[in-house]
Amino acid sequence: MNAIKKTVFALVAVTITAGYLWHTSRVITPRAATWNDVLAEARQGGYAIIDTDALWDHYQKNPDTLFLVDTRQEWEYRTGHIKGALNFPMEPTWLSRWRNKGALEKFLGADENRFIVFY
Amino acid sequence: MAVTLGYKKVFRDPMGYPQWHAKGLPVDSSPAGLSVASLAPRQSRPLHGRAMIWTLLGIFAGGIALNLTPCIYPLIPVTVSYFGGKSSQRRGKLLIHGTCYIGGLATTNSVLGVMAALGGGMLGGLLQHPIVLVLVAAVLIFFATSLFGLWEMRLPYSLSQAASKNHSGYFGSLFMGMTLGVVASACIGPFILGLLTSVATIGSVWIGFIIFFVLSLGLGLPLFFLALFSGQLNRLPRSGEWMLWVKKLLGWVLVGMAAYFVQPLLAETARIFLLAAVALAAALHLGWIDRSRAEFRGFEWLRTAAAIVGLIIAAGLIGSWLMRGPGVAWKPYSELLLAEAQRLKKPVILDFYADWCAPCRELDEITFHNPEIVKQAKKDFIMIKVDLTRKGNTVSEDLLRQYNVKGVPTVVFLDRRGKEQRQLRLVDFLPAEQFLVRMAEIRKIQ
Repeated sequence: MNAIKKTVFALVAVTITAGYLWHTSRVITPRAATWNDVLAEARQGGYAIIDTDALWDHYQKNPDTLFLVDTRQEWEYRTGHIKGALNFPMEPTWLSRWRNKGALEKFLGADENRFIVFY
Repeated sequence: MAVTLGYKKVFRDPMGYPQWHAKGLPVDSSPAGLSVASLAPRQSRPLHGRAMIWTLLGIFAGGIALNLTPCIYPLIPVTVSYFGGKSSQRRGKLLIHGTCYIGGLATTNSVLGVMAALGGGMLGGLLQHPIVLVLVAAVLIFFATSLFGLWEMRLPYSLSQAASKNHSGYFGSLFMGMTLGVVASACIGPFILGLLTSVATIGSVWIGFIIFFVLSLGLGLPLFFLALFSGQLNRLPRSGEWMLWVKKLLGWVLVGMAAYFVQPLLAETARIFLLAAVALAAALHLGWIDRSRAEFRGFEWLRTAAAIVGLIIAAGLIGSWLMRGPGVAWKPYSELLLAEAQRLKKPVILDFYADWCAPCRELDEITFHNPEIVKQAKKDFIMIKVDLTRKGNTVSEDLLRQYNVKGVPTVVFLDRRGKEQRQLRLVDFLPAEQFLVRMAEIRKIQ
């Protein structure tokens, strides 16, 4: 291997390191999502949107079939959460989604017809 | 995501908890207590758990690399032919010979390791002294210069003569192993002595033993396999200049260790730049400046890999320093500050800290630089740091007694009324998410 090739390799390695560091340590300030963004995201993800009043309605009528999932961080959940919700901390990144897939399946249980609400 | 898992009725409430809470609908907060309780104070030894495993793996690799130095590598055929001479024997017997050989090697080195640890144990308290740290670093650098080829280490003639005599039987194999270290010490001596110096600073006999035992295993393993399969011998690359490169690589490892030792004496920025500079210099020297050549192609790859690893370490150190946001704004301890906290009804976090303690630094550099923690600490907490780097401060001695602090790091959580919540106390590194849980807990106590 000649010196030029080696230097190119080295530069690539350094760039990847810097990129990785930037990616992991950048401050994520989520853009305030508009209602349209939320709807588009839901369509893409294949789930439906429920508003607080409808949720309250369901909460009162069929509490047994409702499965509430709090996806915020554990410390947020601990400071306060909807009564009966369970905590499954998940960051809104594809990496975290991919990593937690197996755990989520176990967490949600085998019943595929239960009424699941994430928040 | 739940949809792809096959669940049919999946909903999302985008307004979530804040709106639910605002409408006065039923909420709950989990009972006080920690789900992932790690309350049992772990004894903070210098090496434990994962760090220990990584250290040992590194030392094992170091042991294997030692085989490539100019003094051991030429010995390989000799050793192998010694075993080959026994090839009339069955493989099982050969295996016993090989084991005896490694056992002998391990014995010599482990005795050295234990001795270093015992010596270090006696020095004990001295080893946190700045002068001693500088001395240790100086010794490491001294041996590194030998590996760089600036001077050469030689054994007295009589000793190397005695060592190279041939012996027979299982005891012979054992003895050959025991003396291999002596014969070859001209090369591996600097590395072993450097390692010995750092073992002496750890001061634990057990760790001293295990480090050198693992090193010997690494050193003996390739020989062991070659001895068992003598036919593979001619496939090895020839001795040559490239071995000097391996020596230089080990030299840089020692320089890195020296830089690591003087760390507690430096300010944080200087510490990072020193390590980065060593890594960068090693990468440039090993990858580009050094012109050793070898006939086999693997060598260039090896060299590039070493250079790139060095560069990545340097880039990682500097990069993470550059991209790190502001940390928690700590205040020094004072009674007034505590009184102020009670008046404002704010919880207090007391961090007992010392420069020379690795988990303290980890807490500081990772957890206390987390943006969310910094934000909450500024808004709702009084953050106090008690620096125990130097002994003899009467105020901090009193505090140690008052809060019954046994060592560093210790993080004490005081609730809004100034009472310590003992179940939240922390005596080890904790990642930011879990630290936030503790902050949430202490905030809940009225």
